[in-house]
Amino acid sequence: MHTLRRRSPLRRIVLASAATVTGTVLLLSMKPHTTPHIVTAAPAPSASASVPAGSGGSGADRSGGSAATGTKTVTGDSAPTRYGPVQVRITVRKGKLTDVTAVTYPQENPRDQEINGYAVPQLRREALAAQSADIDVVSGATYTSQGYQQSLQSALDSMGG
Amino acid sequence: MTTVYQQRTPLVPPVVRRSPAGPVLAFLWTGAAAVVALWWQDTGSVVGTAGWLLGAGRIAGLLCGYSCAVLVALMARVPLLERRIGSDRVTRWHAMAGRYTVCLLVAHVVLVLLGYAAQDRASIVHETVTVVLHYPEMLKATLGTLVLCAVGITSVRAVRRRVGHEFWYYVHLLTYGAVFLAFGHQLALGGQFVGNAPARAAWYALYLSAAALVGWFRVLTPVRLNLRHRLRVAAVHREAPGVWSVVIRGRRLDDLGARPGQFFRWRFLAQGLRWTSTPYSLSAPPRRTELRITVKALGDHSASVALLRPGTRVWAEGPYGSLTAERSSTGRTLLIAGGVGVTPLRALFETLPGEVTLLYRARSVQDLALGAELEAIGRWRGAQVLYALNGEDGARPRLTPGALLAAVPGLADHDVYLCGPPGFAGDMYEALCAAGVPDRRIHHESFEL
Repeated sequence: MHTLRRRSPLRRIVLASAATVTGTVLLLSMKPHTTPHIVTAAPAPSASASVPAGSGGSGADRSGGSAATGTKTVTGDSAPTRYGPVQVRITVRKGKLTDVTAVTYPQENPRDQEINGYAVPQLRREALAAQSADIDVVSGATYTSQGYQQSLQSALDSMGG
Repeated sequence: MTTVYQQRTPLVPPVVRRSPAGPVLAFLWTGAAAVVALWWQDTGSVVGTAGWLLGAGRIAGLLCGYSCAVLVALMARVPLLERRIGSDRVTRWHAMAGRYTVCLLVAHVVLVLLGYAAQDRASIVHETVTVVLHYPEMLKATLGTLVLCAVGITSVRAVRRRVGHEFWYYVHLLTYGAVFLAFGHQLALGGQFVGNAPARAAWYALYLSAAALVGWFRVLTPVRLNLRHRLRVAAVHREAPGVWSVVIRGRRLDDLGARPGQFFRWRFLAQGLRWTSTPYSLSAPPRRTELRITVKALGDHSASVALLRPGTRVWAEGPYGSLTAERSSTGRTLLIAGGVGVTPLRALFETLPGEVTLLYRARSVQDLALGAELEAIGRWRGAQVLYALNGEDGARPRLTPGALLAAVPGLADHDVYLCGPPGFAGDMYEALCAAGVPDRRIHHESFEL
């Protein structure tokens, strides 16, 4: 196109905007739109999972609780994610998962704090409802969700469930 | 006299070189595609309103970050761009890409804030305050954004005409600072760069190369040139009403590598002139000890050029411009000058090889600058000088396709070099197209954006 050709700038503006918007929408629409369900390979039982379920006292280095009440707490493995490690502690009473606490999760920058501020409680609710690590990703917190699931799974495994 | 000329300027046909504009544009677009690919490979799924808003906001942000580096590099006065593609064309790319970048910037800010607000189920105001005040690097980035928006606003044609060249220029210089301020948040908050060392390295490389180009070609090269050649005004003389020639002397000027048709950006170190650098074409082929420019008094700056005293120091940057013999491909050339646009064509008229015709449009005989020289050159090389002057009643000459074809036989097989005010150049371009001259042989350079 010659620099001297007289063209309406409006045409160029409309074309550029239309091309950009179309391109962006196209790119976004080609990505999956459903919340991914976390699928991880069932981890092989680890050596630390040898603590028998329901054994009295604090047998393992990372489990505690009291046989008298039938309550037991186990801390899962620390799962590394892109934004930092995630680690959860679970409480089981009479074979029922009664509580999940996130011990570690990414809080380094304010965006992490903000996202995980709502993602962590939601993941806890999901886990308690499912009574397993079979939980959905919280949108906007993909990495935390994956780490949470992994750590939760390892905790449940070591509980011997 | 004739023999002196013939010995001094051997008219060897130059090697015709294709403009590298195509490859350079392809390279820049490839970079943009790579940036989008970075987003693509990093993004798993796009879920819900927040997902769409944030996805679009991130693409806009990444492209904006990329184009900021490209905008700076385009204006780094890289010889490949300035001399082979042409300063005017690169400047036009810069202006177009600049407008687009400001739009991307606004889109990025709005979309990301809306996306965060949707994700956190918070109000947009609360989200904006949180992001600006509490997120890392965001205060700096906000300041940078405001400056870039100010640069964009002062560059809008209507505003630019009002604020004056200096104000516009110095606001534009702030761009470097703004780009630097905005850089931090891209790496600190950009999801695509977290834990992705190659992407971070590539981003650093992009910005450092842009900075290196500016440092080398906009700062070091001019300093070296001026320390080496020590330019001073030697003489100023009047060519026509309001048209002045300035002769500039310096050392080893042949080392500059300036060619007829090119220009320098001149800064005269005198009262009222030292803060402005203005492009003026060489109005004579450069010599070993001497350069000459011819200036029409159009504004305050060009008017005070007439008052320059011999001995005044001159700071020059260049040579720039691609309106040179390299562009010509046919060996038959028509030069069309409108008013003071004759300056680069005067230098080409003397030096272009082959058959040359000059068509000079001016209001009256008195307004013909450099007329005597043009006549002399015409006689010496047996070239024709045609004039298009207003009639006695002030009527403009009709430069129709038919009139051009009648005046210049075989016009369609000529290369045409065109230089003059925008309206004139546009009219002539249309007439030339209608007369059958193909686009690629109409050569033109203009600094109107």
